[in-house]
Amino acid sequence: MKFNRLFKSCSALALVAGSLVLGSAQAQSGKSECIAPAKPGGGYDLTCRLAANGLLETGLIDEPMVVTYMPGGIGAVAYNHLTGVRTDDPNLIVAASTGAAVNLSLGKFGDYSGDEVRWLGAFGVDYGAIVVKADAPWQNLDELMDDLRDNPGDIAFGAGGTVGSQDWMKAALTAKAADISPRKLRYAAFEGGGEALSALLGNHIQVFTGDLSELRSQLASGKIRVLAALSEERMGGPFKDIPTAAEQGYDVQWPIWRGFYMGPDVSDEAYQAWEKRFETLTQKPAFEEMRAKRGLFPMARFGDDFDSYVQQQIQQFKGLAKEVGLTQ
Amino acid sequence: MFDFLIQGFEVALSPLNLGLALFGAILGTLFGALPGIGPINGIAILMPLAYTLGLPPESALIMLAAIYTGAEYGGRMSSILLNVPGDAGAVMTTLDGHPLAKQGLAGPALGLSAVSSFVGATIAIIGLTLFAPLLAEAAVQFGPAELFGLMVFAFASMSVMMGKDPIKTAIGAVIGVMIATIGVDSSTGVMRYTFGMAELQDGIDLVVMIIGLFAISEILLMLEHNMRGGGEGLPPLGRVFVSWKEIRRCRATMGRCGLLGFLVGILPGTGASVAGAVAYTTEKRISDKEGTFGTGDMRGLAAPEAANNASAAGSFVPMLTLGIPGSGTTAVLLGALMLYNIDPGPMLFSERPEVAGGLIASLYIGNLALLALNLPLAGLFARVLIVPRWVLVPAIALLAFVGVFQLHSNLAAIYLMLLIGVGGYLLRKLGFSLAPVILGFVLGGMMESNLRRALSISGGDLGILWQSGISIGLWIAAVALLVLPWLLPRVLRAWR
Amino acid sequence: MNRTADRVLGLVLIVLAAGAAAWATRFNVPFSYDPLGPKAFPMGLALILAVLSLVLVIRPGANGEWPDRPMALKLGLVLAVLLVYALLFTRLGYPLTSLCAVTVLARLFAASWRKALVTGVAMTVVTYFLFTQALGIGLPEGRWLSAWF
Repeated sequence: MKFNRLFKSCSALALVAGSLVLGSAQAQSGKSECIAPAKPGGGYDLTCRLAANGLLETGLIDEPMVVTYMPGGIGAVAYNHLTGVRTDDPNLIVAASTGAAVNLSLGKFGDYSGDEVRWLGAFGVDYGAIVVKADAPWQNLDELMDDLRDNPGDIAFGAGGTVGSQDWMKAALTAKAADISPRKLRYAAFEGGGEALSALLGNHIQVFTGDLSELRSQLASGKIRVLAALSEERMGGPFKDIPTAAEQGYDVQWPIWRGFYMGPDVSDEAYQAWEKRFETLTQKPAFEEMRAKRGLFPMARFGDDFDSYVQQQIQQFKGLAKEVGLTQ
Repeated sequence: MFDFLIQGFEVALSPLNLGLALFGAILGTLFGALPGIGPINGIAILMPLAYTLGLPPESALIMLAAIYTGAEYGGRMSSILLNVPGDAGAVMTTLDGHPLAKQGLAGPALGLSAVSSFVGATIAIIGLTLFAPLLAEAAVQFGPAELFGLMVFAFASMSVMMGKDPIKTAIGAVIGVMIATIGVDSSTGVMRYTFGMAELQDGIDLVVMIIGLFAISEILLMLEHNMRGGGEGLPPLGRVFVSWKEIRRCRATMGRCGLLGFLVGILPGTGASVAGAVAYTTEKRISDKEGTFGTGDMRGLAAPEAANNASAAGSFVPMLTLGIPGSGTTAVLLGALMLYNIDPGPMLFSERPEVAGGLIASLYIGNLALLALNLPLAGLFARVLIVPRWVLVPAIALLAFVGVFQLHSNLAAIYLMLLIGVGGYLLRKLGFSLAPVILGFVLGGMMESNLRRALSISGGDLGILWQSGISIGLWIAAVALLVLPWLLPRVLRAWR
Repeated sequence: MNRTADRVLGLVLIVLAAGAAAWATRFNVPFSYDPLGPKAFPMGLALILAVLSLVLVIRPGANGEWPDRPMALKLGLVLAVLLVYALLFTRLGYPLTSLCAVTVLARLFAASWRKALVTGVAMTVVTYFLFTQALGIGLPEGRWLSAWF
């Protein structure tokens, strides 16, 4: 018995070392590649890794997908790379999200309109959430909104992004729903959602506009109260008791889709092959489980349908930016 | 009360987990020792692998945590031997570590840094075991205003480094802060000094900054040294092992800085680089009576090493108890936990004791393993110094290129690194020390964003900056640091 | 003679500070939640830098030896090697560029041709396998190499 256990441990170790060697030996150019336009560890990294693991495990690709990091300009560097350098690489996809659409609409990527690349599809989505501390005086969105209308100066918002970022948009839209100019808001921009969340727990800010998936552990510990989910309908699981903003009479929705785009000169065959691959992937139960583990909700929009969705989103954000006074 | 720990040790001491911890520690040391490749990369690369292999969550976490700890040990090696920090936390280690190596004491320096790393980490892990939930509550009390106070304190304590050439130290720090303003303004989103380049939008990466400033300029200086007929120019390797006496002399330093580093590591947004800086400057203030810090003082080496390892363990506190990452690396680890459907938080210790306990126990074991690994091998590592320059320099260049490229997949980052390297060379030729530049760079950005965050929250009312007891304490400490050294001797003289 | 360097540096930094401040005046935003805005810090820093640099111009210190012409030439050469290495890094791929860069750098640091070549080959092979195989870090292969492998 003892020997057996030892043997097992040793072989597991050998497996780790061995697959390290093998796994990376295959990870060379010519194979499929996913660019995460950020540093390791962020949401884009997660998107690429989910695609890489999902496609490999379900046998939709034969060899492991390479994940490359290309941080810079919240995705602008990767966008430039695809429109300028590797315009026709049929094996290359780039992770994107609602944030990319926001930045494109605000001109943060440079002089682009968003139709320079081929939007491939989205395979998961997260939703914005309006969060307060568990001992905060507001029990629902209405109470917060009323208080905000009366004393906008006493309620500080915080989130993990600058003015104009998708994190800020959630706060701005909330204010707008209460007929308050987003300019009148008290808003502090933090370095990522984690820092904003600790500021909320320390009572430095009163409202945190974050994402549902990052709140799971906080919800379980009962330290926070989520006043509203910015989704179309109620989510399940640990989020089933959280009402949507729409339910409470406020028309605020903020889906954060996670998907990909490809270079502008990629052939139709390659593009459709990827579209098909992802479509099949989202139908596999194994993938659904992986996606849920990473805190994402189901979404499956691909090909032209997705492309027009992104274009429409960009137009919508452009209008929004004008409305809240970000652009002329 | 410590059931989770006992259970944790049972988990961590199983042959598989012990093996994984060792494997992680060795791999982590390698990741840390190579400039530019730090614990974040190590964990990001190995995490999916651990998952695919079907390792149970506690085993995966043990391996990943061991990589993290190992990287903190590895970072100091190139700091001491080559004057090139292996990672951000090891910048201050160059200040006294490299002079020691130049005096032929590379072996003892490596040994001592391993011991201080061990002591610092152990203090922090004990703190983590005993007080984690309590400390996490205290840490969230540090909001933007308090963090701004901490930055003011950190800059005030930098004044001790002004020693030889106060003007140049100050200019160096200001240049560092100015470089930190490059990129998208973290509050309003406006581009500052980006020259219209997308590559500059996120600001200059700390890794590019460190590698350029230290590694590239070092290559150029080595060339000069070579041509001046310095030959290989390095002293014969003296003693290999650190003596008990040297360790004893640093014990107070290790204790203080371990504690300090642990506390800094817990705070939101601060990491090993801030911990090392605060510990070094504080320690210099406390114990540098003969002015030997910066010339190869063992205590100047022990201080940042104890602190940066302690802060690594400290950053586990908010992660395990609140589910909030205290550093970039723990953010990646948090992702690993989520992958296994484990929600960190106050209930982790009661609901999944094998995970929380296993992780903490593996930190104890990993540190012991790293000490056991590093002490006897110090002599071997020190032999890097007798490698001829014509081997060493190309190796540094290769590592610098690969380190920056794998982080950015982008040539612009490499050009930037070379440019910063030339700047670093010129500054060093002009008699500047590089540490204030890096410190200004790291602290300055945090100072601006926290000040502006605080003022955004208060709507422009400056009062928020000294509203809490913590802020007031930090301001008093900062003022005391600046005034007392000047005032105290005068008062004492008047007294007599 | 030695003090000139500090004076020149001081003047250069003052010009730099002026440029930075001038540029900062153009950091315009539609609105800002904090009263400082994006301009205040850069402007303040530029001012501090200018004052400190002025002190440096007035009271310069001595600094070390500057490289003479042959040395400056060689420093330039090393930088040129690094720059060319960077230029060709992705185009020709890691193995080839590294082999050349290591060999030339070793030569510049006074190794014999034979030693330099051995170093170049050994280091390229070892690091290539270390990074791609053991550490799982992707390196540029260069487009032309893929035809062989």
